[in-house]
Amino acid sequence: MTALAIEPWGNYSLALAASVECLRVTPWTQRSTTPETLRLGVEASPESACLPFKACTGHFIKAAMEGVEYGVMVNSMGTCRLRYYREAQQKILKDRGLDLFVFGLGYDGFKPPLIRHFDPDVIPFLQCCARARLKTLTVDALEKEVWRVRAIERQRGDATRIIEACIADLDRARTVDEIRAFAGTIKKRFGSVAVDKSRVPLKVGLLGEATLLRNRFLNHNIEEILGGLGVEIRNFFLLGDEMRNILKIGFFSRNSRRTLKRIARPYLKHVVGGHALDSVAHTIRCEKEGFDGVVHVAPSGCMPEVSIRPILHRIGKDMDFPVLDLSFDEHTSHVGVVTRLEAFVDILQNRKRKGSPATRENRSTEVFCPPAAKGAVS
Amino acid sequence: MRTREKSGSGDVCVPRPIGIPRALFYYLHPRLWEVFFREMGIPVVVSDPNNRGMVERAGLISESEHCLPVKLLDAHLDFLLDKVDRVFVPRILSLRRGHIACPKLAALPDAMEAQFGDRVEVVTVDVNEGRFPLKEALVRLGRRLDVSRKDAIRAADKACRTMEEAMREASAPSSGNGAGKGFLLIGHPYNLFDAYMAGPVCRKLESLEVAFERIAFDKEIEDSGPLHWDTCGVIYDTLRNINPERWAGVIQLASFSCGCDSISSTIFRGLARNKRIPYMVLTLDEHTACAGIDTRLEAFVDSIGGSI
Repeated sequence: MTALAIEPWGNYSLALAASVECLRVTPWTQRSTTPETLRLGVEASPESACLPFKACTGHFIKAAMEGVEYGVMVNSMGTCRLRYYREAQQKILKDRGLDLFVFGLGYDGFKPPLIRHFDPDVIPFLQCCARARLKTLTVDALEKEVWRVRAIERQRGDATRIIEACIADLDRARTVDEIRAFAGTIKKRFGSVAVDKSRVPLKVGLLGEATLLRNRFLNHNIEEILGGLGVEIRNFFLLGDEMRNILKIGFFSRNSRRTLKRIARPYLKHVVGGHALDSVAHTIRCEKEGFDGVVHVAPSGCMPEVSIRPILHRIGKDMDFPVLDLSFDEHTSHVGVVTRLEAFVDILQNRKRKGSPATRENRSTEVFCPPAAKGAVS
Repeated sequence: MRTREKSGSGDVCVPRPIGIPRALFYYLHPRLWEVFFREMGIPVVVSDPNNRGMVERAGLISESEHCLPVKLLDAHLDFLLDKVDRVFVPRILSLRRGHIACPKLAALPDAMEAQFGDRVEVVTVDVNEGRFPLKEALVRLGRRLDVSRKDAIRAADKACRTMEEAMREASAPSSGNGAGKGFLLIGHPYNLFDAYMAGPVCRKLESLEVAFERIAFDKEIEDSGPLHWDTCGVIYDTLRNINPERWAGVIQLASFSCGCDSISSTIFRGLARNKRIPYMVLTLDEHTACAGIDTRLEAFVDSIGGSI
């Protein structure tokens, strides 16, 4: 059976894998980049390309080495260089004598090239889309649950264990009914984690470039580091929301482009490309909603995200709101990331204790200091 | 927004001067903005040409991950801070029909407002030549600055003519020895036409007595291949039709951490290889040591010396 390589997208990989089943191909994907695929990608890519490009190229090289014939890559119609990544990767693969054809997801005509090539029947295709959509939304729900529980769990690692088991179960679910049934059990399963309800965790927003937010290997598992420090996070890249935006449904939803544009308008008057506008809007929104700070995550040299960093700094200054920016490339050291996050969380806790203007009145002043936070993250 | 104010005792309105940073967009539209403002009767202060101090200042005050041209823009604005109370930074979205500008340029006025907005007023206008002609943007800017439509149109015409002349002059061939083949310098206009950035390369080529020419940007694009960025499109189109009889080699001046160059240089290299023309990328950053550039240029010229 033909195989199709899909870029690793964190927990969403299984939803993406489900979406190609109707094409009668075997999905070939990983939940996050591995050191080996990253090494392959770094060797093959132009030196100044961004980290997601290198990781994804490495993924395709590895796939080609394992005999996968096809791959699929997002090629946006936007302003970012992501637009050329499909061509660039195809060229790299060809130069290395690897036989893997990369499909783009862009529109050139009515059907995307991928669907035109495999030409699935309409009904199984729609069923498959429905399954993939449902799986995406279920992963969204899982993520939201784990952010909340991880910050207050009594035994470190419980929430992570539960979500791993959930992801494995969700991957096995084949029909819409099975997925629905599974989604119903999520609350109960996370309810089984022993939590300390008296703790009031800090709330931190994670925003920035999508791949970095989702790929746990590339972002050095920032969600778990922060969770381990007793911080409740909100990752602003949820594929369910993003799909709605791309398909332009949910026009009036909280996260529609229109709403975000309106929020960002005082600071950013034009769409930059990528998720730059979202980053600005979500930073402002986090401040309004009583978050304690935000962490802006971007690959080193990212065109849209880096260009709005001065704006994020200004928002931070104007609103007295802590913004930490982290850039990642293949040389980023894990210890460096952990140290910066620990220092950031320390500052946030201090601010909260002293009642800085960023602390909202309606929240308890009691601050949870995790007993085993320092040095325990490995 | 009132931009004119009474000055001294007389009734004469003297508009407040406007600062133009000599960086980035200054080279995309050479001479256009200063002539335009002057023709409308607004005094113009252009920041000094790049120098070592400016580059050092850029490294100090700017976001560390910007590319050098954007860092330099920060330094030039910083230079203008105590000289004027308003500065001009356009939002460049596209310079050609069917093409887009680098996404970093779309956020520039907002980023500058964020960095310097509390000390200086940032005047901006959208330049989207893919959607509407440059002159329309100029007239819009003029109206925004309380200049009558007629005056703005007249100033825009004059400014555009001056710019076209300046562009023709800029890409004129160097003296060289004229006899043999020459080198083609390619890159973004703000690297290529900035005397500080491209200067060491040009001086070295002159001292090696080889002819060189900067790529011309004042021409129509026929085919920009897969590239949608405007300046990259011009380069693609030029390299596609490049004549190997005339050019001994192509030298690309790229700026460090430039997103466009990271992708386009592999494509350009492929085009040059198809025509069997040697190709070299020189990456410029704020750590300017000429020895590196000198050595590489000498080696490049030496290695293809026979064919010049």
